[in-house]
Amino acid sequence: MSEVGFYDVRMIDATSTSIVLDNGNIEEISVNYSKGCGARALCGGSWGFTTAEGEFDLKAAIDSASELAAQMNSISPKDEVKLKPVEKPVIKNIPTAKIDPADVPIEEKVQLLKDIEDHAKMDGVSSTSAVYSEASVNVHYISSEGIDCEYSLIRTGFAISAVATENGSYQVGRESRFGVCGFELFEENDALALARSAGETAVELLGAEQAKGGTLPVILDPELAGVFAHEAVGHASEADLVLEGSSILADRLGEQIASPLVNIIDDPTLHEYGYYPFDSEGVMSSKTTIIKDGVLNSYLHSRETAQALGGTPGNSRAQGYSEPVVRMSNTYIDNGDSNFDEMLEEIGNGMYLTGSRGGQVNTGEGIFQFNAEKGYLIENGEVTRLLRDVSLSGKTLEILNNVTLVGNDLKMHSGRCGKGGQLAPVSDGSPHISISKALVGGV
Amino acid sequence: MFEHAQKAIELAEKLGADEAEVYISYNHSISADIRKNTIESAKENVSQGIGIRSIINGAVGFASTNNVSRIEDVVNISVSSAKVRESDPEWTSLPSNAKYPEVSGTYDKRISAIGLDDCIGLTGKMIEGALSVPDVNTTSGSFSTSYNKHLIMNTNGVEIVDEGTGVSGFVDVITTKGDISTAYDFEVSRSLDIDVFGIGASASSLAIRSQNGISIEPKKTNVILHPFAFSDIFENTFEPSIDADNMQKERSSLIGKKGETIATSDLNIIDDGLLEGGIETSISDEEGTPSQRTPIIEKGIFKSFLYDNYTAGKDNTSSTGNGMRHSYVSSPSVGPRNLIVEYPSSDVIADTDEGVFINTVIGAHTANAISGDFSVEARNAFTIKDGQIDKPIKSLMLSGNIFEMLNKITGAGSDVRKVGGTVVPSLRISEMSIVG
Repeated sequence: MSEVGFYDVRMIDATSTSIVLDNGNIEEISVNYSKGCGARALCGGSWGFTTAEGEFDLKAAIDSASELAAQMNSISPKDEVKLKPVEKPVIKNIPTAKIDPADVPIEEKVQLLKDIEDHAKMDGVSSTSAVYSEASVNVHYISSEGIDCEYSLIRTGFAISAVATENGSYQVGRESRFGVCGFELFEENDALALARSAGETAVELLGAEQAKGGTLPVILDPELAGVFAHEAVGHASEADLVLEGSSILADRLGEQIASPLVNIIDDPTLHEYGYYPFDSEGVMSSKTTIIKDGVLNSYLHSRETAQALGGTPGNSRAQGYSEPVVRMSNTYIDNGDSNFDEMLEEIGNGMYLTGSRGGQVNTGEGIFQFNAEKGYLIENGEVTRLLRDVSLSGKTLEILNNVTLVGNDLKMHSGRCGKGGQLAPVSDGSPHISISKALVGGV
Repeated sequence: MFEHAQKAIELAEKLGADEAEVYISYNHSISADIRKNTIESAKENVSQGIGIRSIINGAVGFASTNNVSRIEDVVNISVSSAKVRESDPEWTSLPSNAKYPEVSGTYDKRISAIGLDDCIGLTGKMIEGALSVPDVNTTSGSFSTSYNKHLIMNTNGVEIVDEGTGVSGFVDVITTKGDISTAYDFEVSRSLDIDVFGIGASASSLAIRSQNGISIEPKKTNVILHPFAFSDIFENTFEPSIDADNMQKERSSLIGKKGETIATSDLNIIDDGLLEGGIETSISDEEGTPSQRTPIIEKGIFKSFLYDNYTAGKDNTSSTGNGMRHSYVSSPSVGPRNLIVEYPSSDVIADTDEGVFINTVIGAHTANAISGDFSVEARNAFTIKDGQIDKPIKSLMLSGNIFEMLNKITGAGSDVRKVGGTVVPSLRISEMSIVG
């Protein structure tokens, strides 16, 4: 029977506050304090994971994870798992909050949120809601290899949504901004203008036409193209999915899988919402070029997958005390050198899709589906009528190859990504991109 | 932690709360995870926490923690948050103590006694089931068991402790020869009665049958939705519209429709907190209102929204026992219990001359939750010809509107499944729009 060869523990201490407004009234003010740890141990080829909450006993948590791993390995022995060796992370350039949200009185936050919500109200808007959230977290990582490191981070953000109603029809507009920063988020983003834009979107969509489905040339705006980069490409590049046999990108490193105009990058060192100084395995974060000039360049790795496939670890992330999983951070399609007018001219007739209502992907078959917030017809090189309920689906590799122009107006959007039942803060982005052929669905 | 409930309530009152409520939950789970045909890891999680709601002049403050040594702090914060807010004239009160029903099938002592070795054994059987079909790999999967206990205590005399168990198994598979095709299957239950071998075998068989899909022309046709596909669309479109909170905020297509016919006359939909062995079954909801059975649609007629205690007070009616929480970290809001969809069953595929059968969909969460419009990608879909499943379909988009669908249900299978809290058979809907 094997011995436990490795263990590590993430100790997390966090405070979060959220305020929810609905139609001008405070729906909820909620504060949470949490403290606990997630411990894991590796015995031969078997992992054991445990969590402990409150004023936990560190040694007991490690022992319990070790016992699980050992028990698992004796009942179900398998090939030894090796971890890619790593150095202790050097922590530098951590984003700091210029205005600590904890120093801002709750009354001021409520008032700001009320002002934001107010700006989403306009003729046609029947209801609004707004959410403010702040969280401060301290993460302390230790491992049996002697790595001991720690960071503190503050995250602040808000979301606004407006519903417009007319003759039994309902349309929604949403805007949100979340960042690794403090209350200065509201100085750096014009929250009131964003709120107005959410209201305007909802009202505009009431008058939009239903999209007619079919295969067409399309232009994606930075938000929707960012969702494509994240959902369709980013997930398939996660090496745990590659190893388990559920990625369309398996065995394709070095292959031309996209138009040579396409470069896709994951970079946790950017001070965007997906930032972290070291990952949930204590590995210093670094930039990964997933697709370089259309060629599949690298997967995203944990220490285990990096050792198995060759590569650089640093993309293992966990929600709270959960077990670390390979995942993205800040993922984007890099700037090209085209502009929007050239795209319109090239496409002639097609559709312009903007914003995102989310999406989903089947990485094994390389199929994705997502919904745009708005669509516009492109007729004779001009953006014309507004369309609603437009979805985009297709094969990841076909779309990557059908990219004909990449813009130079990269923009990032913050959000949260779900995988394995865990949510993680991420951002994704892109410049405008033009695609020669895609399946667009309507009602 | 449970022993601190009474003290927390007393402290909140001392600090000035008119009413106060404590919710404490404890959860113990053991699970084994599959990665590429092997059982890779074992997890044991114990989590517990306390959420405190304090009310002053109808203004509610809420705070929570998983740390016993911070309980006093969170009581303080919940009271001070309530003081920040303006009074809410529509607040009535927290639920009062009541007579609670008995429920059955929610606790299986075999689950609370289960060890990691049994979990690993059952996980192994799921892999065996999947590999009993040639040319398929399990990519990922998990078998898990859980025991949970919660307490609800408030200043109106509610003091409830309820406990229960749960078990779940799921597996994702992919074909290894020829055309790539994936499939998944899962089962959840309150008792140790799920067929783990069957979960694996059925996922693999579906992946194999889905290979070499054909393309089809866009058309309007009969669509039979498997319980997985139907419940996914239903949860993202219909469920939000029966939430009284959404109705009161004018975010529901069912506003003013009570008493009207909104579905085919053979359709019943019931919200049932008492269903034997139901995933969402317990003696009360998560703020202490006794569980009940609430008809939502009866013979096609819309009968009721779902209410928690607060939204019920606003409408001068009673809570339907739908005050639910995501966890101790959140205060209660309206949520469904077991939502049962009933329609007379028949041999629904055999009764269908032409159409499409869809097992699962992706992208249902992108639906318009108010209007009920959706456009999703169908997975593991097949053509139906002369009463039989005919050929797999490569790629298919399904679009529609849930409220139109409710009027076009023309058949149901006898294959009722518990998909989480949604309990539903396969349903046939006429004239659905599909794009291949």
